[in-house]
Amino acid sequence: MSKFTRRELAAALSTSAVLLARPQAAPPPALPANPEEELKAAQAQLRDNAAQLDKFPLPMDAEPATMFKP
Amino acid sequence: MSISNEIFFAGITEINQKLTKKEFSAVELARAFCDRLESIGPRYNALALSLRKDVLRDAKEVDGDIKRDRLRGPLQGVPFGAKDLLAYAKHPTTWGAKPYEDQVFDYTASVLKHIGKRGGLLTGKLAMVELAGGPSYRYASASLTGPGLNPWDNTRWSGGSSSGSAIAVAAGLVTYALGSETSGSILTPSAFCGVTGLRPTYGLVSRHGAMALSWTLDKIGPICRSAEDCGLVLEAIAGAEYGDASSAKKSFYYTPQFARDLKDVRVGYAPVDFSEGVDPAARADYAKALETIKSLGVQVTEATLPEFPYGAVIGTIISAEGSAIFEPLVKSGKVDQLADQRQIAGLKAGLEIPANEYLKAMRIRALIQEAFHDLLSTVDVLIAPTRFDPAPKLTQPLDRRATERPTPATPGLTTLIPAGNLAGLPALSIPCGFANGMPMGLQLVGSPFSENMLLAIGKTFQDRTDWHKRRPPIAA
Repeated sequence: MSKFTRRELAAALSTSAVLLARPQAAPPPALPANPEEELKAAQAQLRDNAAQLDKFPLPMDAEPATMFKP
Repeated sequence: MSISNEIFFAGITEINQKLTKKEFSAVELARAFCDRLESIGPRYNALALSLRKDVLRDAKEVDGDIKRDRLRGPLQGVPFGAKDLLAYAKHPTTWGAKPYEDQVFDYTASVLKHIGKRGGLLTGKLAMVELAGGPSYRYASASLTGPGLNPWDNTRWSGGSSSGSAIAVAAGLVTYALGSETSGSILTPSAFCGVTGLRPTYGLVSRHGAMALSWTLDKIGPICRSAEDCGLVLEAIAGAEYGDASSAKKSFYYTPQFARDLKDVRVGYAPVDFSEGVDPAARADYAKALETIKSLGVQVTEATLPEFPYGAVIGTIISAEGSAIFEPLVKSGKVDQLADQRQIAGLKAGLEIPANEYLKAMRIRALIQEAFHDLLSTVDVLIAPTRFDPAPKLTQPLDRRATERPTPATPGLTTLIPAGNLAGLPALSIPCGFANGMPMGLQLVGSPFSENMLLAIGKTFQDRTDWHKRRPPIAA
């Protein structure tokens, strides 16, 4: 068993991981010119999202959000 | 009896009092508002559907009730509008999108029924960004009714996706309106149009009869002239709902008389948000707004947001859920009828998101919620500019940064809109100044179900300022 709660672990890991994962400022790519390019751009955006999520460490007991605590 | 022009910009309580004092009838009032909505609404692409015939029938009933002293509270006889993602039986509900322009439901959204029981008068359905903008869009023109034009400058965008709702309130076409928010769709148009918008806690207001974009993020809330009016409307629309699986089964009573002593309220903010983070033309007004907040007697402290990839998390969730919801539209090919190419591509691409990526986003979201639970045990309210720049020009690509201003070294609370939505938190946007003639808003975010506290701060702020009373230059 971990000595840390998942909240403590996430808090400890999140700052460094996310800061490292933050993309460097770069000029935005040109706007897509046609539907095919738009689809490729949308897929690239989703891949970028996935890459950012991948860099975020998740303890095994971090379960998906299913309810909201008052 | 003639209706004064002032009445179009009056608050809920004032209008209701004039009705009960019989200064004018509900039919006269409804007719005057319909005339104004039908003549001015299309100028700003704010009107989806006038409900003149229905509302005049309802107004006649209200007059009968008032005559018999059957008083139903402050919303009775007061004209309002609803974002066109809410079903209204036997009338078109287009969701702002060409593929649904002929869609008609045989039932009415619960929130409209709740207001109807209190004698509220639905004068029209209001325009919106197509499919509430999900999963993303590039241009303000992403709507069946065209781009929402800002009443303060019609070469600029109104904000979205509740575009018509914010325009109609700002231009005095309705007294209040219902909007919806998945990630910023109430707060953004409220800030851009200079009106007051409330995003309720997730689950507090029924979504039965509303278009779904994201089951785990969608909220319905009011856009009004003041925090006080938001409280009155929220009281009517909140409550347990067995037709909505997300319902928190909680009621809401607007109780300003029992508001927490503001001396006990801890307000967190990031100084960078009020200096280099925000448009230079608005900094003086934001400095004054911060001073006004401090003058309320609250305890002010610096705060930072927990570090999470908020954009990637919310982007993944909205894309996955939105594309799943609109999968039949995509597979039918009718998705290509949408106005915005980026939106079409986004809905198609979202169907390719693997389950593990969606689950990863939802697992990070759980940690976000816990982190906000911790943060909001150290402060009661977070404040920040609602948007850090004023409404963009209509032709500005919304997925490109409109300003050359350098990004501050520290992020402040710039991601409070996606973060607050992911955590299911309530938020209030109140007008707090201008940048080169365009309204700017101040966002207040609190713990789940802390709407009364946010509204108390908002109301006290508005008692001491007049930003919410400013009117755009609308020609009759």
